[in-house]
Amino acid sequence: MMLGGHSTGPERFGTPIFGVSEVSGLICDLLDDARLRRIWVRGEVTNYKNHASGHRYFSLSERNGRSSAVINCVMWRTSASTLAFAPKDGMDVLAWGSVEVYEPHGRYQLIVREMLPAGLGERHLMVERWKQELDEEGLFDPGRKRPLPLFPQRIGVVTSPTGAAVKDILSVISRRYPADVILSPTAVQGEGAHVEIAEALRRIDGLVDVIIVGRGGGSFEDLFAFNHPDVVRAVAACRTPVISAVGHEVDTALCDFAADLRAPTPSAAAERAVPERREVLRELAGCEERMRLLVHSRLAASQSEVEDLRERMRPGRLARRINERMQRLAEHDDLLRRAAVARVQRERSALAELRASLAGQNPLAILERGYCIVEAGGRVVRSAASLAPGERVTIRMMDGRAVAVVEETTYDEDL
Amino acid sequence: MTKTFEEKLEELRGIVRKLEDGDTSLEESIAIYERGALLVKQCEDLLGTAEMKLTELGRDR
Repeated sequence: MMLGGHSTGPERFGTPIFGVSEVSGLICDLLDDARLRRIWVRGEVTNYKNHASGHRYFSLSERNGRSSAVINCVMWRTSASTLAFAPKDGMDVLAWGSVEVYEPHGRYQLIVREMLPAGLGERHLMVERWKQELDEEGLFDPGRKRPLPLFPQRIGVVTSPTGAAVKDILSVISRRYPADVILSPTAVQGEGAHVEIAEALRRIDGLVDVIIVGRGGGSFEDLFAFNHPDVVRAVAACRTPVISAVGHEVDTALCDFAADLRAPTPSAAAERAVPERREVLRELAGCEERMRLLVHSRLAASQSEVEDLRERMRPGRLARRINERMQRLAEHDDLLRRAAVARVQRERSALAELRASLAGQNPLAILERGYCIVEAGGRVVRSAASLAPGERVTIRMMDGRAVAVVEETTYDEDL
Repeated sequence: MTKTFEEKLEELRGIVRKLEDGDTSLEESIAIYERGALLVKQCEDLLGTAEMKLTELGRDR
């Protein structure tokens, strides 16, 4: 092959020669395109083979008049296990997956992750569109969710009057809590079910404290009405809080997203809707017990306080206290009296002393020592000059008087 | 309008709290205890005697 012997690479007559892996790599690059990844492809199933390994090999084909197109498909065992139907040749399906190159066989193929019968598949796509649309309207906003009443008196149930859901709900509620159940009956599947469900919701809204809307589990088709925007909008428009319970654990419907609470089953919805009577009774009993204990201890405290006061008011005790006071009063009286007597005595002796000292001052005391007082005309005579001879005077002595007549008066020169 | 079950239960809880805080007078304690006991009775009666009732709405409304 290397006739030219050029150093730039193998070629023949001026055209470069590629290795198979190089070409395959180029093809891989070309097919590595977002437009070929995670896409829905619609076509007719042909050459369907369910391999012993569990992988499914088939083709999807499309005919337009004379022209036709085919793409090889493979669905690995793990993806195939989720198939909700048995694909057969000739079936119109929607397959979801990505185009990949399988280099060892030089093939490109669609690796299918999910596959649905075309009618059903289209419905799935429709639900996806609705979901996006309703989400954009804000109907699934978590901020719209309202709390459920704790002790509802009336429970509205929007479901089929003949289905298992209503039986389950009634059995749970009757076991747990004595609420009134108002059934707003509706078809839950089939043509026009969505209109009926929406109407049943509007009929019951405002008449009850909480609404349960739903049905037991079923196929995607069976639950389809609960995806319908009419139902979702009716749920979102309810003034009464709504619990949505459509199907079983794995199923969800769009109306679940718009409800205030989503329950996996109708029974679970009923459990969320009402409290357990026994628990509430237990709480009541607890309240009563606590109240009783509190009031009893309060009463006991008051009683012992009264008891204490009564003890302190007993008559014997009172008399003792009166005696005590009387005694103290008597003591004080005595003290007072003694103080008064002492005072009088003190005053008396002070008086005697005073009298004694006063006695020393008595002018008549000199008479005892032999002096006399001469009086004339009732007045004490102090001067000889005040007397005239022949004048009568009275001489007062210690023990009496004498009347005398003045013979003559003389003067003491030196006086 | 009579109180709902929920309101009664809430009032009852309030009474227990009030009795617990001990600031209320003895007279008031006894009065609210009597009120509480009545509420317990009413709540228990509601729960104990009532049974689930089922009504069906007409479809043509």
